[in-house]
Amino acid sequence: MSDRKLPRLLQTPAVILLLIWMLVPLSLTLYFSFIRYVLNNLRRPEWTTPSFSNWRGLGNYEFVLNSKDFLFAIQNSLLIVGSILFLTVILGVAIAVMINKAFPGRGIVRVLLISPFFVMPAVNAVLWINMILDPVLGLQGLAVGGINSVIASLQNAPLVGWFFSLWPQLEPISFRATQTSAYAVIIMVTWQWTPFAVLIFMTSLQSEDQQQKEAAVLDGAGTWSQFRFLTLPHLSRPIAIVVMIQAIFHLSLYAEIEIVSRGNGNKNLPYLIGEFANNNIGAASATGIFAVILANIVAIFLLRMIGKTLME
Amino acid sequence: MAIVAETSRFGKLSRPVLAWVVGLLFFFPIFWLILTSFKTDADAVKPEFLIFFTPTLENYLNMTENYDYWRFATNSVITSVFATIFALAVGIPCAYAMAFNPSRATKDVLMWMLSTKMLPAAAVLYPMTFLTKSLGLFDTHFMVIVVLMLINLPIVIWMLFTYFKEIPKDIIEAGQMDGVSTWGEVKEILIPLAWGGIASTALLCFIFCWNEAYWTVRLTTTEAATLSKLIEGNRAPEGLFFGRLSAVSAAAVGPIIVLGWFCQKQLVQGLTFGAVK
Repeated sequence: MSDRKLPRLLQTPAVILLLIWMLVPLSLTLYFSFIRYVLNNLRRPEWTTPSFSNWRGLGNYEFVLNSKDFLFAIQNSLLIVGSILFLTVILGVAIAVMINKAFPGRGIVRVLLISPFFVMPAVNAVLWINMILDPVLGLQGLAVGGINSVIASLQNAPLVGWFFSLWPQLEPISFRATQTSAYAVIIMVTWQWTPFAVLIFMTSLQSEDQQQKEAAVLDGAGTWSQFRFLTLPHLSRPIAIVVMIQAIFHLSLYAEIEIVSRGNGNKNLPYLIGEFANNNIGAASATGIFAVILANIVAIFLLRMIGKTLME
Repeated sequence: MAIVAETSRFGKLSRPVLAWVVGLLFFFPIFWLILTSFKTDADAVKPEFLIFFTPTLENYLNMTENYDYWRFATNSVITSVFATIFALAVGIPCAYAMAFNPSRATKDVLMWMLSTKMLPAAAVLYPMTFLTKSLGLFDTHFMVIVVLMLINLPIVIWMLFTYFKEIPKDIIEAGQMDGVSTWGEVKEILIPLAWGGIASTALLCFIFCWNEAYWTVRLTTTEAATLSKLIEGNRAPEGLFFGRLSAVSAAAVGPIIVLGWFCQKQLVQGLTFGAVK
């Protein structure tokens, strides 16, 4: 066999598989997004089978754009993704810088820190929403109850009782309402993905130019200006990468929303697609195309950055 | 200069303490899950048994009875193991060809492969349901394995590619001069040299398969349902079953967390597609 043919042959299975995986479902989505296609409709049974004769043009897109759910889902997606990105990057940089220098037990701290990342999303959500955030039985509820009973006993204390009687009783927060459950999702995903950011920033910090730092110290640069003018610029690229990778992952966040928020109105794009897909396949597909466009905007930038380092 | 020395002395003491506090804080939810798993369902919601309680193994012993744990765990193992094996079987030849005989298109092919990873799964939810149902593959191990393999294939190929690229080409070429066949090349030279890389790629792929929570939830009901599906199905115990739910959750994530500790370094490469070094 010639030099050129064999390498190509070896790549063929992977390329064909991924080609099918990418093209077949996506072209079906595209097709369904242009036709009237519902799973149940007694009056118009012809709409329940996909066919070109049910062509609807851009009608599904118009329907989706005009639905209140869609705007809310986009807003909510951006709130959730944006907050997670903000929190994980801040926490990630702070923690990475903190544990970059050797200290006793550093290895163990690293292991403790990275662990949340390996928790499966379903367990993450079940654990946080029940055992930790539940307003009555979770740690939150127990903590609020504990604080309240301390305050109550202080109110009966002599001399200072009148002062503490001015204190309010604390109300636990229910994380199962529309808005608060979005916060619950932000908390649990930030917990899971901060380790990821820490890991990447730490890897990057290890390649930081130490001589430059020593020179800065000799020049009398303080800790803060070292961080501001040397470390932070060094981290700018990893920060950009962490932001983009997380954006792509979190735009398709699903299990956490499904577990925390089923039926309470807190939805993001994937969840809305799931809801539409219970009946209105046309709308679900049009929403899917919007999700693809949104992800692509991020992906193009990310792929460019990866491409630069690829063949080095 | 005195000020610098002062802050660094303060830093010397406070930094490790703070680092330990943060580390323990991040681990706390997992610790709490494990702790709760040793409480009875009744004790788990009583404030007086918050930390001091009589530990019991009953939640773990009744896992089969309560949740049919082993059936879901077996499905998770089967689907993750086979998806990993198939991903390697397809990925190793591909990455080998790309690393040792790169063409002008190699970079573009790799980038394109990564781009498939960036498609939001939800966008193709209904078509996938439709296809699997009309092919009679809905809720089968086969389908879950295929999907898990496909979503991880780009990462597998990418990681293997970066490992293979590190192997000096001369070694392979010397083998060619000696008249070793391509298969011999792979078996005698490549695999022994890249063994560590292949193993860590496999480990990472396995972890990702195990934790996958979109397709495993949407494309299964009972037969091929994995642990993700099991936990998702018991999402709201209303405080009644915190103990037993914690036990089954701990059993679902425990092994993977331990495996994860062994591949922290590879994780960076696998998740950033090598863009951070």
